[in-house]
Amino acid sequence: MSEAIAMEARELGKKYRRDWALRDLSFRLPAGRVCALVGPNGAGKSTFLGAATRLVRPTTGTLELFGVPVTDPAVLSRFAFLAQDKPLYKRFTVAETLRMGRELNPRWDQAAAERIVRAGDIPLDAKVGTLSGGQRTRVAFALAFGKRPQLLLLDEPMADLDPLARHELSGLLLAEAAEHGTTVLMSSHVLADLEEMCDFLLVLAGGRLRMAGDTDALLPAHALLTGAAEDGALPREVTDGHTVVEHRVTGRQFTALVRSEGPRAELPDGPWETAVPGLEEVLLGYLRSPEAPSLITAAARPSTHLEAA
Amino acid sequence: MSTLTDPRPATARSGGPLHGLTWLVWRRNRTAFLLLAAVTVVVCGYCLYYRAGVLDFVAQYGNDIRYSEKFDKAYKEVFDRIYVLSNLPALLGIFLGAPLIAGEQEHGTVRLATTQSVSRTRWIAATVGLPLLAALVSTTLISVAFTTLWSPANQLVNYGDWLGGTIFDITGPVPVALALFLTSCGIAVGMLVRRVVPAMVLTLIAATGTSIAMDRLRTALTTPHTVTGPASHDFPAIPDSAINYDQWLGTADGRLLGWGTCVDAKNEAACQSDLGIVHKIVEYFSLDQMAGMQWRGAGILLVLTALIVAFIVQWTRRRPL
Repeated sequence: MSEAIAMEARELGKKYRRDWALRDLSFRLPAGRVCALVGPNGAGKSTFLGAATRLVRPTTGTLELFGVPVTDPAVLSRFAFLAQDKPLYKRFTVAETLRMGRELNPRWDQAAAERIVRAGDIPLDAKVGTLSGGQRTRVAFALAFGKRPQLLLLDEPMADLDPLARHELSGLLLAEAAEHGTTVLMSSHVLADLEEMCDFLLVLAGGRLRMAGDTDALLPAHALLTGAAEDGALPREVTDGHTVVEHRVTGRQFTALVRSEGPRAELPDGPWETAVPGLEEVLLGYLRSPEAPSLITAAARPSTHLEAA
Repeated sequence: MSTLTDPRPATARSGGPLHGLTWLVWRRNRTAFLLLAAVTVVVCGYCLYYRAGVLDFVAQYGNDIRYSEKFDKAYKEVFDRIYVLSNLPALLGIFLGAPLIAGEQEHGTVRLATTQSVSRTRWIAATVGLPLLAALVSTTLISVAFTTLWSPANQLVNYGDWLGGTIFDITGPVPVALALFLTSCGIAVGMLVRRVVPAMVLTLIAATGTSIAMDRLRTALTTPHTVTGPASHDFPAIPDSAINYDQWLGTADGRLLGWGTCVDAKNEAACQSDLGIVHKIVEYFSLDQMAGMQWRGAGILLVLTALIVAFIVQWTRRRPL
């Protein structure tokens, strides 16, 4: 338990009228990671970010950021949040926007915020309403980083940016996060956006957690098998002792994404080809097969109540 | 130690007296606050400017209803211009109150403001409190200024009618209470509707409704005095400064009949004696009742304002905006 925990959810759930937008979410995010929150539209990503930022009140469970429950207003100074549409006051100048950050945040770092703005050649006296999308995102980043958060939460940060601005701002994000050891959690429904930036993955589908863990721990447990089907089904050696996440049988051939359990995980050996799947293949496998058991690696598993006590 | 080596950030020195949430709320509503301040200064200056002339008139002729026609010739326009002030509470509700939270919701900035390091309770307190304070200060100054212009000539202005016209609504505590009530109404409506323009329209409707309700409420705020005289004479006289509210014909056994009951009869006296009418009764509000009526009306509005503000605070604390 030497590693600090940036975020810990226990049975977190949110019910809107009759439907659960988020259900039984339990995981932990170690500090210092850059975490991708991935899932199809409507998976509960925004609801989860809302719960983490005190904008949504959870129906069940608890959520702690650096040990502070989100029900405590003290948690507000721990994180910075960048909503999807990057809301800023349009009639404020850039300088006034930064001043707002200074007036409302005790740990405000004016020099850092100004540096981020200047690096984008944005004049401080420009009205926010006159800036381009990329420039506005940069100002929003400056506001978020100036707060000196321990945890930075971003909802689809790159969605509305052109490729150039996307490249520039993801570079800025990673550099600032690395410099200050900020834990980052950002959502997207396109994994490819985040694959290069992130070393931790949270996958939501239908309001439930499907995968959580370090990306390099998630992948090696999986294998993509291709071989001859036995009587139109998977060979028994494949199913025995392994979790089949997803499989397809076409004619006499099968393809299966399998996961090996246990510490010394061994992949089924037999008359078939074994390939290492890419992150996206694994992700899609889990998203396509809601019945497959979720995969939560040890690093992402919340401590039991016994441990916590 | 780093202060010696770090170049001072360019905007760190720009300050002014306002800080924290106060600064944010001021900056967001700067136009409205400055406009309100300008209106306040102009109205106060206007009232003080004309006060000298009004006092001269009173010194020359007296605060006497017999000279009200003469006064009206000289000062009608001066006072007519001020009567537009009766719209100030509605304007505050529509242009200051309604967009206050609805604007933040419409542009998503509420998520920006409530995820800084200040708690939502403090945010809502500043967001609602400062505009209400601005409305309070401004309307108090305006009311005091107008009241000092009107009160020396209260028998002359509007022919001495302090109840029926706008004078009741723009003197004493009434304009202040109306402004606070309609501003908080606008804020609450905006918060529920979440859109600026529909919120402004609904606030206008609420302001119109309030104005209609005030017209009915005014005369219910206290019990009118009554004066009774014999039926054979004219209706009994009431003080010059009083407002005639209603007139009745009374029978010996205490029934009240409309004052026009026998007007069309060929022989009024015969008609009255046939019906057993022995009294002529006048109900009126005297000028010394005005302050009590105003404070009672303002009290009702302020209680409603407090309820609305409590509702806004509870709602924003419990629900996502």
